[in-house]
Amino acid sequence: MKKVNSIVKAKDSVMKTKVTDLLDIQYPIIQGGMAWVAEHHLAAAVSEAGGFGIIGAANAPAQWVREQIRLAKEKTDKPFGVNVMLMSPYADEVAQVIAEEGVKAVTTGAGNPEKYMEMWKKAGIRVIPVVASVALAKRMERCGADAVVAEGCESGGHVGETTTMALVPQVADGVQIPVIAAGGIGDGRGIAAAFMLGAQAVQMGTCFVATTECQVHQNYKDMILKAKDIDTRVTGRTTGHPVRALRNQMTREYLKKEAEGAPFEELEQLTLGGLRRAVTEGDVKNGSVMSGQIAGLIKEEMSCKDLIQKLMKETETLLKGTAVYE
Amino acid sequence: MLERIKEIVAESLGTEAGTLTESTSFKEDLGADSLDLFEMVMALEEEFNVEIPTEDLEGIQTIGDVEAYIQNREK
Repeated sequence: MKKVNSIVKAKDSVMKTKVTDLLDIQYPIIQGGMAWVAEHHLAAAVSEAGGFGIIGAANAPAQWVREQIRLAKEKTDKPFGVNVMLMSPYADEVAQVIAEEGVKAVTTGAGNPEKYMEMWKKAGIRVIPVVASVALAKRMERCGADAVVAEGCESGGHVGETTTMALVPQVADGVQIPVIAAGGIGDGRGIAAAFMLGAQAVQMGTCFVATTECQVHQNYKDMILKAKDIDTRVTGRTTGHPVRALRNQMTREYLKKEAEGAPFEELEQLTLGGLRRAVTEGDVKNGSVMSGQIAGLIKEEMSCKDLIQKLMKETETLLKGTAVYE
Repeated sequence: MLERIKEIVAESLGTEAGTLTESTSFKEDLGADSLDLFEMVMALEEEFNVEIPTEDLEGIQTIGDVEAYIQNREK
């Protein structure tokens, strides 16, 4: 962003929306429940900074999720959530553990959370499915969802087909419950735009990977910091499991083989454990360095608190129409 | 009813109703993914005024399955 002469002092401000009320948070910023990345240090730091932190359960066993919830509660009194990956072999147990331990909200991905809805609701947990279409959003609303995350294909990791710009307003028109925009949001301009599109909050992932509290390997953070606008690739479009990551040796090889029509099993071998290797071992050459398209906007590593303050200041300046560009 | 189902499926999945038969499979023949299927189910629910719970979706793979399901529910 070019220099902005701000008239607004957003430092101690509060931005109230339906989602901040729903989640009892200060700022309408939710941290995405990224597999392997979103553990308790990050989630607690985001919540402590006034946003909404989320622990990503991904394919982890229920016991890990229980420990993470307890560790996060030691670090913060503020509300936080858990993301449940519904295709996980442990989804049933994880869903149960979340109801037992109690968190403010659950977000769900990779499927339909209808069967857990009643259990979570009884435990007083808000349920916020991630959706990539209007029909799914409507269905989630009908079965009792408190809000939906409309995630466009600019995001990192598993992606749908529709962009955030196109998806958010259509979902906002399709449901009465609040909509949270995700995918392609990298600074205050993105947040302000999301509000214009009809969202009541945003979910951001890649931004939070490059924070000091995020525990991913430094190589992973450095790659995001260095990334430019055109550096992400989507692998697996032909297999029905498209995933966005920063381009490297792995994505090149994958896309070459995919174009040649290699069998699914062979392609899967290239990505198996790739995200874990990138996150924990820093293997950013052959690992899967999942990232959204906004990686090019992220220039420096900062604390979650500084990041959220920066984002809110930018957003409020824009939304109040007081930005003066030089 | 079969013709109406074909029309709705064709519209939801972006194909021609005339090419569909009772044995047309949504996933295998039409390449529908989970989002497409929800799109189709929502349209069918609206047309036939039934609620199709997610657990029933696994049993609905073809046009014929849809017809049987709706007839069964209307009884």
